[in-house]
Amino acid sequence: MGITKNVGNYQLGRTIGEGTFAKVKLAKNITNNQIVAVKIIDKQMVLSNNLMSQVQREIRTMKLLNHPNIVRIHEVIGSKTKIYIVMEYAAGGQLSDKLTYMEKLSEEDARKYFQQLVDAVDYCHSRGVYHRDLKPENLLLDNQGNLKVSDFGLSALQKPGSLLSTACGSPSYVAPEVLNKKTYDGAAADVWACGVILFELCAGYLPFIDPNLMNLYTKILRAEYECPKWFTPSQKQLIGRLLNPRSKKRITVAEIAEDEWFQRDYKPAAGIYFQGKSYSDDVRAVFEPEKESSEEDIVPETQGFINAFQLIAMSSDLDLSTLFEEQDDKNNRIMLGSKYTITETIEKIEKAASDASLSVEWMSNSKMQIQLKSKFRSSFNLLAEVIEVAPTNCVVEVSKPAGESGIYKEFCRSLSQMLTEKSRKHRR
Amino acid sequence: MGCSISKKSKANYWDFASLASETMFSLDEVEAVYVLYKKVSCCIVDDGLIHKEEFRQALLRNKGKPDLFVDRVFDLFDLKRNGVLDFGEFVQSLSIFHPKSPAADKILFTFNLYDLQHTGCIEREEVKEMVLAILKESDLELPDEVIEEIVENAFNEADSNQDGKIDLEEWKEFVGKNPSLLKNMTIPYLMDVSTVFPSFVENKIMLI
Repeated sequence: MGITKNVGNYQLGRTIGEGTFAKVKLAKNITNNQIVAVKIIDKQMVLSNNLMSQVQREIRTMKLLNHPNIVRIHEVIGSKTKIYIVMEYAAGGQLSDKLTYMEKLSEEDARKYFQQLVDAVDYCHSRGVYHRDLKPENLLLDNQGNLKVSDFGLSALQKPGSLLSTACGSPSYVAPEVLNKKTYDGAAADVWACGVILFELCAGYLPFIDPNLMNLYTKILRAEYECPKWFTPSQKQLIGRLLNPRSKKRITVAEIAEDEWFQRDYKPAAGIYFQGKSYSDDVRAVFEPEKESSEEDIVPETQGFINAFQLIAMSSDLDLSTLFEEQDDKNNRIMLGSKYTITETIEKIEKAASDASLSVEWMSNSKMQIQLKSKFRSSFNLLAEVIEVAPTNCVVEVSKPAGESGIYKEFCRSLSQMLTEKSRKHRR
Repeated sequence: MGCSISKKSKANYWDFASLASETMFSLDEVEAVYVLYKKVSCCIVDDGLIHKEEFRQALLRNKGKPDLFVDRVFDLFDLKRNGVLDFGEFVQSLSIFHPKSPAADKILFTFNLYDLQHTGCIEREEVKEMVLAILKESDLELPDEVIEEIVENAFNEADSNQDGKIDLEEWKEFVGKNPSLLKNMTIPYLMDVSTVFPSFVENKIMLI
């Protein structure tokens, strides 16, 4: 091909995958030789399908997902005609390939992958993100054999209508209620797909197969499948609960976690986080055509007093980009004053978080991510940044990228109280 | 949008092509900005002009109260100084926030923004007033000496000839060293505003 193309810091290489709206290429980060995968989306194609706002929203969401079993998004770069999503490269390939040469997996392996899949699904569902197209092709493996789910949150790029046509592959993983074109619950549909995947991993073949598409639909709608004779009773029971044709009666992700077969040797992935790498919640950057070279830190390494202009430039009232946001988005950033030193303020934030059963994960020495402590059902995720204004005062900026706003408001209220209450330690 | 039909004639009143040639916007972008303009201009009084209250409401999460910074921005947008923004003023001013706009324009805009009294210099009192406004935004009360220190800090760095005022030359030099001060002067959305916001384009078709 001769011509190598660079996008940002990445040198694009060969194509490793292709879909309706996107192409995936291997690429190398020229600054550190890291190998990444770059998904290239054609803006015009998305635009002509009226999906731009949805894609924009989904990319915002996807950037915020950070889980060991989900393909990580490093960066999103936009050009006039294309959107480049720079992702973690999963060197182990697709799980479907492994399945092809292994035929079926051992019960232990199947369980491990299933547990990792459910962890990833739970993490996303609790943030209101649904996959809607789970299948072994979207399940990748890293070089240590850990599962990495790709394309989470990118459901707009999988044309829902086309799932039903033979041209776009088999509907084998599609839930009955989706086939029925009822309005469906994304969570339950993902659970169904997990059931099909689990069956396939353990059996080495799909639960629903028929050369005739209409017969296949009928089988799916009735959940007609037969377990191979080596399935244990506990395996059969779990699969039966996953492949329940009535979506309301289907097992939920939280219930899967309680299942006996699932629980065996289960090591929850939550808690294993990517270290150090801070990422930006700057959603505007997503569609920014030229990535600015560096994000200027508002506060340079000065001890003590902030420079007045740095403080003024932080005012959200000067941020005219809110003109372009929907009303709902506008309450997602709040600034809280603190009557404490930076160290004390950080302690207060940690205290407020632990009072509300939230855990704090540091992204840099002044930025942190706060989320629900429990391993499962973590339902929201917010970012806080502490800025030192004076030796004895700080400003805390809290923003809420995704999730429920009730807990967010409550957390901000109690934190604000803590930061402003009179204290013996308060120096004048 | 609600107000699309009654404004049909006004849309033709503005020559989008010449606005595009005078600003950083492409013709498509001017049209997309027009849709935004219409949305803001009819939110209180449906007269095709943006009044200060409408501008506040669009920016300030429905509070619509007087606000130092928002009101300053409005005054700077109001090139004809008649208390309302017409579409020409809106496009020309918003163009400064375009990612392609030269930094010099952005620097000048911030200078004028902070020169509250229009004296041609940024003065200590003005800086203090702005600091107080932002502290109020975050409900932070600081002892007066701390505020003085923050203001002093700014003048130590920016007022290179130490005459107690920051003139445009000093400001340019200072911003050159602290580019993050221009952070709010670029709205990435403005680039490709017509493609990033398909809803704007759809509405545009409705208007024509």
